[in-house]
Amino acid sequence: MRAYLKIAQKSFRNNLVFRAEYFAALLNTIVTILVNLAIWRAIYEEEGGLDNLQFSLIVTYVILALALFQIFTMDEYVIEKKIKSGLITSDLLKPLSFRLHLFSFHFGALLYRIVLLLIPTLLLYSLVYRVLPPFSIEMFLCFLLSVILGYFVMYSLNFIVWLSAFWFYKTFSLVTIKDTAVLVLSGAVIPLWFMPQQLVHFIKLTPFDTIFFIPISIYLGQIPMDQLLFSLLRQVIWITVLGLIGHVLWKLATRRLIVQGG
Amino acid sequence: MLIQVEQLVKDYQLNKNQKGFFHAIKNLLMPEYQKKRAVNGISFSISEGEMVGFIGPNGAGKSTTVKILSGVLKPTSGKVIVNGMDPFRNRKKYVSQIGVVFGQRTQLWWDLPAEDTFDLLKTIYKIPDATFKKNMDMFSEMLDLHEFLHQPVRQLSLGQRMRADIAAAMIHEPAILFFDEPTIGLDIVAKERIREFIRSMNQEKGITMLFTTHDMQDIEKTCERMIVIDRGDIVCDSKVDEIRQFSDSERKLTVKFGRQYDRIELPGAQMIKEAGNTKTFQFRTNEVKIPELIAELMSRYEVLDLTVQETDIESIIKQIYEGGAPAYESVS
Ligand SMILES: Nc1ncnc2c1ncn2[C@@H]1O[C@H](COP(=O)(O)OP(=O)(O)O)[C@@H](O)[C@H]1O
Ligand SMILES: [Mg+2]
Repeated sequence: MRAYLKIAQKSFRNNLVFRAEYFAALLNTIVTILVNLAIWRAIYEEEGGLDNLQFSLIVTYVILALALFQIFTMDEYVIEKKIKSGLITSDLLKPLSFRLHLFSFHFGALLYRIVLLLIPTLLLYSLVYRVLPPFSIEMFLCFLLSVILGYFVMYSLNFIVWLSAFWFYKTFSLVTIKDTAVLVLSGAVIPLWFMPQQLVHFIKLTPFDTIFFIPISIYLGQIPMDQLLFSLLRQVIWITVLGLIGHVLWKLATRRLIVQGG
Repeated sequence: MLIQVEQLVKDYQLNKNQKGFFHAIKNLLMPEYQKKRAVNGISFSISEGEMVGFIGPNGAGKSTTVKILSGVLKPTSGKVIVNGMDPFRNRKKYVSQIGVVFGQRTQLWWDLPAEDTFDLLKTIYKIPDATFKKNMDMFSEMLDLHEFLHQPVRQLSLGQRMRADIAAAMIHEPAILFFDEPTIGLDIVAKERIREFIRSMNQEKGITMLFTTHDMQDIEKTCERMIVIDRGDIVCDSKVDEIRQFSDSERKLTVKFGRQYDRIELPGAQMIKEAGNTKTFQFRTNEVKIPELIAELMSRYEVLDLTVQETDIESIIKQIYEGGAPAYESVS
């Protein structure tokens, strides 16, 4: 256990090395949110009859969704790089679980993003815009739980995509397809309320809305009490399903590595 | 025996990549594999405290053997027992008892100072503070690590990086070390340092070592025993001294003749090269004495110039690769 915490710590430090990239990421987050808010404002003004509460709801949604989207971003090419460089063999030479090792690495990066990206961004925007507080204390706690579950859904989905590096020479296209699907279907940019019913029905069959839309809806108190448990359950189910697929693929991948030598 | 390898075979599967779209689809659905034998039924054993050099040209199967010995690659068939364990079956337990260095890659965190990797290894292997400090001090002194321990690894020279990598593989005091081409790409000075360190670790700590190289100098300067591997087969396994003795007695005689001779007969020497009137012969000092050979030569032919050369181990190895060196068999 201590070893994995240490890996997370090193990974955190590793991220600190890249100052220029940090400022670029921070700027990117701030500007993306700014642009999105401007678009929503324009839409509302066009529609006329600007309802203050509704607009604050949108503002809060957009800021939370895009901020979470930023911190859920992961280094998608760690496994691919390890396979190409042969370093994956060195990882297997450690008395550690490779999957926990990999997760600790991403966990360190996540902490880095929370401390250095999420907090400054939220602070900045809560000063400039009217960001709604959580619906209630209970909902806020549920929100925190749901965000953590959302992260695991995202991670399990990503892990499957990353593992494809064992079979494909390049994972770039698959990563791009996944990113686009997440961006559009997860409600990271457009809340599901504004999507056509049929599309929403489809999305509810996928894991995508469990990543961002469920946690933020909980924060805003948009999920009725009787559906709350079901929403959290959907997140757990997707973590289990994607986790199992990842597990099977990982077994196949290691067998291939061990027989084939990467 | 600490390391025992019997009839070890490793076949890789190569994807028969035919060009074209339909072949690509077919490959995806019904992959067609071609077997490529990398290690062809080799056997050897290494006892505790021994230091063995594994030498062979590129593609001989050295890295494959090291990977199998370190438990990251599954043998196709054959038996491998190291320290009473099957490296592949007991991988998690096994890997903390060995150290492995791959010369072509680094286990150090690339963007962080090397000391961060050491700090991490300390936790991973649960090394007690005192042991860790003792080892770090020793490595710092012997390998001058302190000079660059605080610098990000990506800024290190290849030689510095290699030294840090070797120390990283040894920080948990493994009883057995495998090196895969630890001196590749280094300059003479850097190579010499690493050889010296490896040698002293073997002699002082009694660590059993096997290292691969394609540089004969590495072996001559560090090992007592060498195994020559070529195209997956062991072609020679013997004491370096014996090969040295063999090479010590072998000489090459290059003679420039004053005129054209169709046939030259020189008892005890074989002609191995011919370029115009300059011809090269090979002989052994325990079969013919040099003065006698030269006297014989002078009395029979018109000679303008001659040189006698020693054969180095390197050219003996070359002959072994090329399937030559028939006389060598008497030694092994
Ligand atoms: N992962 C692999 N897949 C297919 N063939 C491989 C693989 N690794 C090595 N080989 C082949 O096996 C042979 C031995 O390789 P290797 O053990 O790396 O040799 P060496 O280390 O002596 O240069 C070579 O012909 C090489 O092309
Ligand atoms: Mg090699």
